[in-house]
Amino acid sequence: MLTPVEKIIFILAAIASVGFTFHGFKTIIDSIRKGRPAPELKNIPGSLLKAGIAVLFQQTIFKARKLLSAIHMGLFFGLITYAFVNLTDALEGLIPGFDLVYGGKHLPYENVPTGLINTFNLIADVMSGFLLIAITVFFVRRFITKDKALTFRDNVLLNPKVKAGGQNRDSLVVDVFVVMHVGARLMSQAFRLTEGADPFMPIASFLNGIFGASEVGVHVAWWISLGWVMFIIPYLSRSKHTHFFMSPVNLGLAKQNPRGQLDPAVPLKMIEGTRFDPGAKHVHDLAWTRVLDAYACVQCNRCQDVCPANFYQRPLSPSALEVNKRYLLKEATFGGHPEKLELPLTETVISPEAVWSCTTCYACVRVCPVGNEPMADIVDIRRRMLVDGYEIDSGVQNALQSLATNGNWMSKGKRLRGKWAKEMEFPVKDATAEPVDHLWFVGDTASFDERVIPITKMVARIFNAAGLDFGILYKEESNAGNDVRRVGEEGLFEQLVEQNMAAFGKSQFQRIVTTDPHSFNTLKNEYPQFGSEWEVKHYTVTLLRLIEEGKLTIKNKLSNYKVTFHDPCYLGRYNGGFTAPRKLLELCGVEFVEMPRNCENSFCCGAGGGQIWMGKVAPGERPAENRIKEALTTFGEGAGDKTQLFIVTCPKDMIMYSDAVKTTGNEGKIEVRDIVQLIAEAVGVEEPKVAEPVAA
Amino acid sequence: MNIVVAIKHIPSIADDLPVSGKNVDFDSVDFVLNEWDEHSIEQAVLIKEAVGGTVTVVGVDLIGELDNVLHLALAKGADKVVKITADDPAADSHMQAKWLAEAIKGMGANMVFAGVQASNDLDGQIGPMIAAYLDMPYIGGVSSVEANGDSATVNKEFAGGAGAKYSVSMPFVAGVQAAPKPPRYAPVSKVRQMAQTATIETVSPSGDASAGLAFKNMAPPVATGHAEMIEGSSKEVAAKIVELLKSKGLA
Repeated sequence: MLTPVEKIIFILAAIASVGFTFHGFKTIIDSIRKGRPAPELKNIPGSLLKAGIAVLFQQTIFKARKLLSAIHMGLFFGLITYAFVNLTDALEGLIPGFDLVYGGKHLPYENVPTGLINTFNLIADVMSGFLLIAITVFFVRRFITKDKALTFRDNVLLNPKVKAGGQNRDSLVVDVFVVMHVGARLMSQAFRLTEGADPFMPIASFLNGIFGASEVGVHVAWWISLGWVMFIIPYLSRSKHTHFFMSPVNLGLAKQNPRGQLDPAVPLKMIEGTRFDPGAKHVHDLAWTRVLDAYACVQCNRCQDVCPANFYQRPLSPSALEVNKRYLLKEATFGGHPEKLELPLTETVISPEAVWSCTTCYACVRVCPVGNEPMADIVDIRRRMLVDGYEIDSGVQNALQSLATNGNWMSKGKRLRGKWAKEMEFPVKDATAEPVDHLWFVGDTASFDERVIPITKMVARIFNAAGLDFGILYKEESNAGNDVRRVGEEGLFEQLVEQNMAAFGKSQFQRIVTTDPHSFNTLKNEYPQFGSEWEVKHYTVTLLRLIEEGKLTIKNKLSNYKVTFHDPCYLGRYNGGFTAPRKLLELCGVEFVEMPRNCENSFCCGAGGGQIWMGKVAPGERPAENRIKEALTTFGEGAGDKTQLFIVTCPKDMIMYSDAVKTTGNEGKIEVRDIVQLIAEAVGVEEPKVAEPVAA
Repeated sequence: MNIVVAIKHIPSIADDLPVSGKNVDFDSVDFVLNEWDEHSIEQAVLIKEAVGGTVTVVGVDLIGELDNVLHLALAKGADKVVKITADDPAADSHMQAKWLAEAIKGMGANMVFAGVQASNDLDGQIGPMIAAYLDMPYIGGVSSVEANGDSATVNKEFAGGAGAKYSVSMPFVAGVQAAPKPPRYAPVSKVRQMAQTATIETVSPSGDASAGLAFKNMAPPVATGHAEMIEGSSKEVAAKIVELLKSKGLA
């Protein structure tokens, strides 16, 4: 179809395009390779294949925004189709007589596969329509209706170029590209239809009906269509749409270790002649897999939607972190300002205040369709800030100092840890002195906080009533260190692990049970790296087993309660402990209603990652308050004479939500209870003052 | 600038304080660094960061566990640490002041800092006594120190929120009430690194130290009253308070 001159121009342009594209991706890959060694990835081909399949079926985007995800799917399939379309279009241009309209009947070959060509033509034609619709929706969403989900809070640190609308420009370029490219391609086909409509090309035929066929038109449309492609591919490597290529790769190289296991503060893989300081100050202090994150992110802001800190109007946006990272890298590479890499992340990527707003709830990582881990970056930044002597919040500092001296964050003496147990009506075994089956790791809040101790005692009574052979570590227990590690105090975390491992070493037990999901998480996922080999269970699982084995009998069905359940981050999202609490509630016979944000999509109470230690409390509606409102909306008006309960399975939740019920003025409408309080009522175990003493 | 910080290891009140005989049951308590000493270390390190010099931290080792505190001081920026091995948990502020003064004497200090008080003896004596033994001027209730050449500008706090600015000639002893900034956090990794690498200079207690006071008796306080929580709506609470004030003849 093309004239010889056109062919030469095309080939030269194609070579230039490939050259610029190669340079673009080489630059990106070089910059990714400067990152630190990442935790070892096993079976990379396998996980890339798995990621490829996930991308092909668009599985990971449907975790949120279902309708927009469906449109994204249309766009994705359209662009995949267009990869083949562009190929056949190039052949149409280069090979004389190569023409696929009308089932390829003008092709100068024998045995033309008409059926296949017609199918291809139909798919290409219909997909062109899909693409135009999808891109129009996205264009309208960004530029006409201006969906707020695509913007950042004013207090979020943004690269000046992002602030000046860099992302919108990228989006506009791609929107215009798709419209021009697809439109031109449809027209180029329409102009080819010299013999009237082709039933396998409905849209092109429709356009042909209006514009007719035209030899010149074919040339012009072809050049617009393929010219755009030659321009856009190198452009993509310099825009946020590196997403097209990097997101499947990133998904294939995503974190393989358990969610609850943080990457080490310094890489385990040593490189000769390199000394790594803990955590991250500069962008290349991050593991290379997390430098890659920036290029996979297309800035959809789903992470921002689910971020409790962002909800709380804190200056944190996980997506802004990724966006800023990519802009920083872009300025340092394509922009020719490598000196920008010497600027600390806290000035270029995320503000210190935002760093200290993260609750480490993992919602951002969980929801990310491309496998990014902004939360891990935040923890790494905290690690370095601590080592560099950055002035931290006084409340956090007090907690850490107390943890270092007392082994708990409440400035209580070690000997007071077991005080509640000594007040019990039956002896609670000291696991460091006599062998037990279950070692109960109680945790700080459940051991010391007066508001939670009654619940702790009830757990002991239930265990006792079920004949469970259990003991505690008394003064030998130290804080497990989950949140210590997540505020970035790696040295203190290691110290606490050593103290607890020493206490475990002194004791004889078969398995560990915890009441605190935070302790549960680190004991289960991180202590094995320090030599722990015990099975760790959350008490909801233990309670369920005791009931199923007949050790506890449900005597009273609690049909007088209407309840909802809050999944604690470190039990649910981190460790998949969704079923045991729900099963327990079912066994208790309560009326159960599920909040809209449940299980994987549960909304953090706002206490995790050291937030509960903060001395300063920010203004605005707190996540826990929002959650209580969500529960009340879920209950609606129809509770009748039933008592409405908000059920928790985490000592921190007990505190956060009891408080939130008061501060939202909902006392009397909803009551916060630990699940064990329901079990106690259902199995008929009561506090001794109103009941027969429980046989020891 | 040569700054010496005299510190005190004291029983922790995080636990219920056990009493045995006429004194604290020292076997059943943990020892911690006196809270005001954390401020004097911070003040010393701030001066060092501003004008240069060295910070030496010296303390009496009462129960053989002072090393942890000294490692912490090093992690916070002290250059040198010295412990006086007394091995007597009951040594009071008078005895400690004498030993500390003897140890500090040969150090050529421009400034000596001590916490203005400690929560065990609560007599604020260590600083003034060191000053007396070393024949240096003493200034207490200090909330900031700035070194300028041979003298220092010292802010001192008075009751009722009043304050005064002094120019003090070196050498002198200051009782530090608070550092201008909250004491910094020393990451545990750094403390542990100090524990592995740093050397602690050890000296024996010297000088004729004797306790100024003798214990007659020690007992936990007896609860003589308790708070009563008034419950109800704000109107009911207000009514009850009025009633209560009337019954006490106050309204």
